[in-house]
Amino acid sequence: MDLESKKEEKKEEKKKEKKLPKASSKKTMREKLSKKEIERQGILLGFMAVYVIYGIVFYYLPLGGWIMAFQNYKIKTGLFGSTFVGLDKFKFLFEDVEFLRVIRNTLAMGVINLVCTFIMAIVFAILLNEVRNRFGKKLVQTISYLPHFLSWIIVTGIIHDSLSNTGIINELLVNWNIIKTPINFFAHEGYFWPIVAFANVWKETGWNAIIYLAAIVSIDPSLYEAAEMDGAGRWAKIKHITLPGIRPTIMILLVMNIGNVLNAGFEVQYLLGNGLVRKVSETIDIYVLNWGVSQSDYSLGTAAGIFKSVVAIILIIIANYVAKKTGEEHLF
Amino acid sequence: MKDKKDKNEIKLNYSNMNKRDGSREHETHAEETSEKLRKLKKVLLGSSYRRESPGDTFFGICIAIFMVLFSIVTLYPVLNTVAISFNDGLDAVKGGIHLWPRVFSLKSYETVFGIQGFVQGALITVLRTVLGTLFALVANALLAYIISRKHFMFRSGLSLFWVITMYVNGGLIPTMVLYKALHLTSSFWVYVIPGMVSAFNVMVIRTYMEGLPDELEESAQLDGAGYMTIFLKIISPLCKPVYATVALFVAVYQWNSWFDAMIYNRMKPEYTTLQYELMKLLSSVMQQSGSATGGAAAQGGSVSAVTPVSVRSAATVITMLPIICLYPFLQRYFVTGLTIGGVKG
Amino acid sequence: MKFKRVLALTMACMLSVATLAGCNKGGTTGGDAAGGGSLGLDSGETFTDDQIIDFTMFIAMPGSEINDGNEIQQLIAEKTGVRVKETWLTGQTAAEAVGSILASGDLPDFIDGGDGMMQLYDADVLVPWDDYIEKYPNIKELYSDAEWESFRQADGHIYWANVFTNTYGESMATSHNDEAFWIQCRVLEWDNYPKIETLDQYFDLLERYADANPEMEDGTKVIPYTMLCDDWRYFCIENAPEFLAGYPNDGSVIVDVDNMKIVDYNTIPEAKEYFSILNEEYNKGYIDTEFATQTYDEYIAKLSTGRVLGMCDQYWDFAYTINDIFIQQNLDDIGCNYVSLGLTLEAGKDQMWHVYGDTLNNSSGVAVTTSCSDPDRAFQFLNDVLDQEIHDLRFWGVEGVDYLVDEDGMYYKTPEMRDQWADTSYQASHRCVYSYLPQWLGTSRDGKNAMQPQEQESEFFAGLAEPLVNCFEAYGAHGYPDMIGSVVKETGPWYPMYSYSNAMTTETAGGVAWTKMGQVKHEWLPKVVMASNFDSTWDSYMEAYAACKPEDFIAEMQEELERRAAVANQ
Repeated sequence: MDLESKKEEKKEEKKKEKKLPKASSKKTMREKLSKKEIERQGILLGFMAVYVIYGIVFYYLPLGGWIMAFQNYKIKTGLFGSTFVGLDKFKFLFEDVEFLRVIRNTLAMGVINLVCTFIMAIVFAILLNEVRNRFGKKLVQTISYLPHFLSWIIVTGIIHDSLSNTGIINELLVNWNIIKTPINFFAHEGYFWPIVAFANVWKETGWNAIIYLAAIVSIDPSLYEAAEMDGAGRWAKIKHITLPGIRPTIMILLVMNIGNVLNAGFEVQYLLGNGLVRKVSETIDIYVLNWGVSQSDYSLGTAAGIFKSVVAIILIIIANYVAKKTGEEHLF
Repeated sequence: MKDKKDKNEIKLNYSNMNKRDGSREHETHAEETSEKLRKLKKVLLGSSYRRESPGDTFFGICIAIFMVLFSIVTLYPVLNTVAISFNDGLDAVKGGIHLWPRVFSLKSYETVFGIQGFVQGALITVLRTVLGTLFALVANALLAYIISRKHFMFRSGLSLFWVITMYVNGGLIPTMVLYKALHLTSSFWVYVIPGMVSAFNVMVIRTYMEGLPDELEESAQLDGAGYMTIFLKIISPLCKPVYATVALFVAVYQWNSWFDAMIYNRMKPEYTTLQYELMKLLSSVMQQSGSATGGAAAQGGSVSAVTPVSVRSAATVITMLPIICLYPFLQRYFVTGLTIGGVKG
Repeated sequence: MKFKRVLALTMACMLSVATLAGCNKGGTTGGDAAGGGSLGLDSGETFTDDQIIDFTMFIAMPGSEINDGNEIQQLIAEKTGVRVKETWLTGQTAAEAVGSILASGDLPDFIDGGDGMMQLYDADVLVPWDDYIEKYPNIKELYSDAEWESFRQADGHIYWANVFTNTYGESMATSHNDEAFWIQCRVLEWDNYPKIETLDQYFDLLERYADANPEMEDGTKVIPYTMLCDDWRYFCIENAPEFLAGYPNDGSVIVDVDNMKIVDYNTIPEAKEYFSILNEEYNKGYIDTEFATQTYDEYIAKLSTGRVLGMCDQYWDFAYTINDIFIQQNLDDIGCNYVSLGLTLEAGKDQMWHVYGDTLNNSSGVAVTTSCSDPDRAFQFLNDVLDQEIHDLRFWGVEGVDYLVDEDGMYYKTPEMRDQWADTSYQASHRCVYSYLPQWLGTSRDGKNAMQPQEQESEFFAGLAEPLVNCFEAYGAHGYPDMIGSVVKETGPWYPMYSYSNAMTTETAGGVAWTKMGQVKHEWLPKVVMASNFDSTWDSYMEAYAACKPEDFIAEMQEELERRAAVANQ
């Protein structure tokens, strides 16, 4: 083949693509894939085969373990010898009022954390990008992601300290005459979710912002330049250039994270919770620890895991569909 | 000869095209590049000599204040941890240490550096971090490249296939049985092979690649470049910022891992990792200072001056330091905008 | 540039650490060879390095690893021909760890599975002890025939033996490593060492002392009483009723010996009275307002300032940390150390806060696995570590280095030896306790010394601060058990019942009830104490408690009690 014809072909293809509406273009395109293009894709197909095999072996094969959820799994008898109990484990979960409450807690904390950490990371990345002093910028960024390396036990320890009767928060509130006697923050159910959200924001904002910072870098500087010539202020530039520029990244991360709302965590709640706030602090993972793991009942934990996976996949399919419909970046 | 001419033509066309639709620039001519650079510098550093509107100045001040407050709030727990790590362990138990040690002591560090497996653990950790990051970066980037190709046949299916892996998990025991069957247990490769492809990182890279202008690929394609050449020569150089991001994610994950070392190489001290050694130390110190059997083991007299709090702090600082050192090298890829437009030849 | 310098510095540090460690290792091994000869242990049969066999052991409890080339480990290996490398639990529950070890198929030679013991039995990976018990006298000596019987599993074999609280000869206990109401000895001294028998007297004294001395020297307020409710440590608030009612620590229930009935201590009148007293004290302001939300770390921080006058806790839960901090801050000199009190609700009632004699927990212990290459040698080793010479090496150390012997043959340590013995790095390089292999408490085979130094009376008093010694003298006590003054009463063969409830799972109705009861109590006990209207809150608590169906749990415990009693009567 010579270059000329290839160029021609390309042009043809481009024309067709332009004519077709974006949403339906893909399918038509696949049909229109030329033989040469398919040949060209041979290498990609080869690699894809490797990735699919890898994925099946390391991610899908272990899912055979999901059988455990329908068994009374015992180490002795193993996966193939344990007695089947049908949906008993799921029944156990969904007939327990506790479990329903635990789902509520997990969802609530998952959503609150998602919203807070998500917004904070974007705001932080954008504002950091506006810092003109390059040394200051680097310094702040380095500082901001350090808490990510502290374990939860350290972070919750500090939070516990600052919120105790003699901690800094109560001291300030009392000194400013906002309250008369110190508040015992951990004794009231109402404070628990906000405290958990704050802990997450505190620990992860800088870390989560890294992806957005990388995305901001890919925005063409000449766009800012042009905007400036049009007399745009900083705020206008953020609104019209930076935000649209990182929008695909935001959408993709949002869709992926929506699947994670049921993974609201375990350690934070476990370390910050106590008997008095148990009703709002327990998450699915803690429930599984109490009722499954600590009783050597692997089946129950597996059942809860399947439930979480199913919910997650449904959620991302919906989110992905919505993103697709609204013309946003989507996962698949 | 014809080929060369063609190339130049394409490049020329290509850069014109870019200018026309006002999207990204990817100049190759030295002149144009330097001109762009000058402009860029003006944008980045020029605010000092360009007049700003009062609104922008106010905005700038707000950002400055926000950043200072934010830094203080996030720096506090870190400095607090450092202070405690340099404080006498027993004294630290009383609490009330903020930014500076009250009773200075290096005992916690002595204890941590004194663990028998420290050197071996550090070696394996460095090795798995380097190898793991390299392998994962290549694997993730290539997969991301494949599913970011707009014309690729199984683009959607392959994406879904990997997205699902993010949300399903077969559980510890089946995974162990599998790794054992694959002879990954009791080996170093269990740290590198199983976690090599992570759908999350793939999606992050993919999103970035999709943001690159299609024309890049098309022009190279016209040039006769195959998919792999485009990946290596055109796409990858432009993806430095996102590669740096993902490399950081993977490196930090590898650096902090300990659970796999314990689960898969429990009886193999030669494959221990630094973090596993630190976890072992920590749990033994915790056990000494408060459990039913710890009592039986701790005979009369005074228990050593290290406590879980002080050892945990020292271990955290030791873990954090190398990552902090690594960061500036990666940071340049995503703090400045200067790397853009760097398509060479 | 700057960062490069930092990096270079870090690398240099790491390298120098590596070299240091390398030197250390070399030094230790060198010292070994010299030490073995110069320490002059009586010769007899010794094993050379290539005759020594290395075994591995996993212990499903957190613990400290010792270094390769540990000195005492080497001495023991030369005498017994066996060296055991211990691996401990890290960041997992015992059951999880055992589960994953079983799944990996990579079993150690010895194992103590803790709560996961039954999984090991179920998986058929343990070697039966039956023949070896007869073959090795030291092993057989550990337990009476009836006690050995209690280890027998459903398939008719014995697979493990618990290694703790086994008293050889006369008990020499000076410590009370268990639960009690604790009070600072300065409070007792302030009131001229009164006799405190009841909870009312206890709180009355705390109130009077706190009113008279509301502040510490540095101006901080004293906390008359605090309680820990954190996670599994909530026993500090939870199980006092069983003791107050006069029963020993069966953990989860009371065994009414006269009728052989299981009694739920959560609902007995003593429980209600105990919590009503706590409620009253809380509302009067004598109980720490943060008790319900404090973490363990915060609790220990509070205790370590010396501000807390009293609490109910297990000795091991606080003392090992607190005692050292008191010494460091000279708080021990002003009498901040805690002494134990055995309280009841009415004066003169018998109580069993301290149990004399051994507590046999037959639900776990050391086992030999089928992966062990040489089970005979493994059991031989379990026998050998009970040898007096080896036992002394494990617990007392090397004579002349770790302890001295006076002209009466009594072992003692100098203060320097005591400090060195407690030092972490010395522990790693020199001490080898094999703390999860069979061992004895009580009197040494020489009839004079204690098997373990913490039970040697001279050692015990040598480590005590003056106010504490004065306090013991004032009450004529030789140690903590005397302070408590429990009745000396044999516990039944079923004791302790917690060895059963700890192993319960949600597979049975009783296990489900047991888990639910725990959750309800975690939530309601603090609420009851903090209630403004005690009676109505108590009723709500009882309602929530009844909803857990505690009767299922009690029924299962009753069954187990009868089974244990029947086994003992065979």
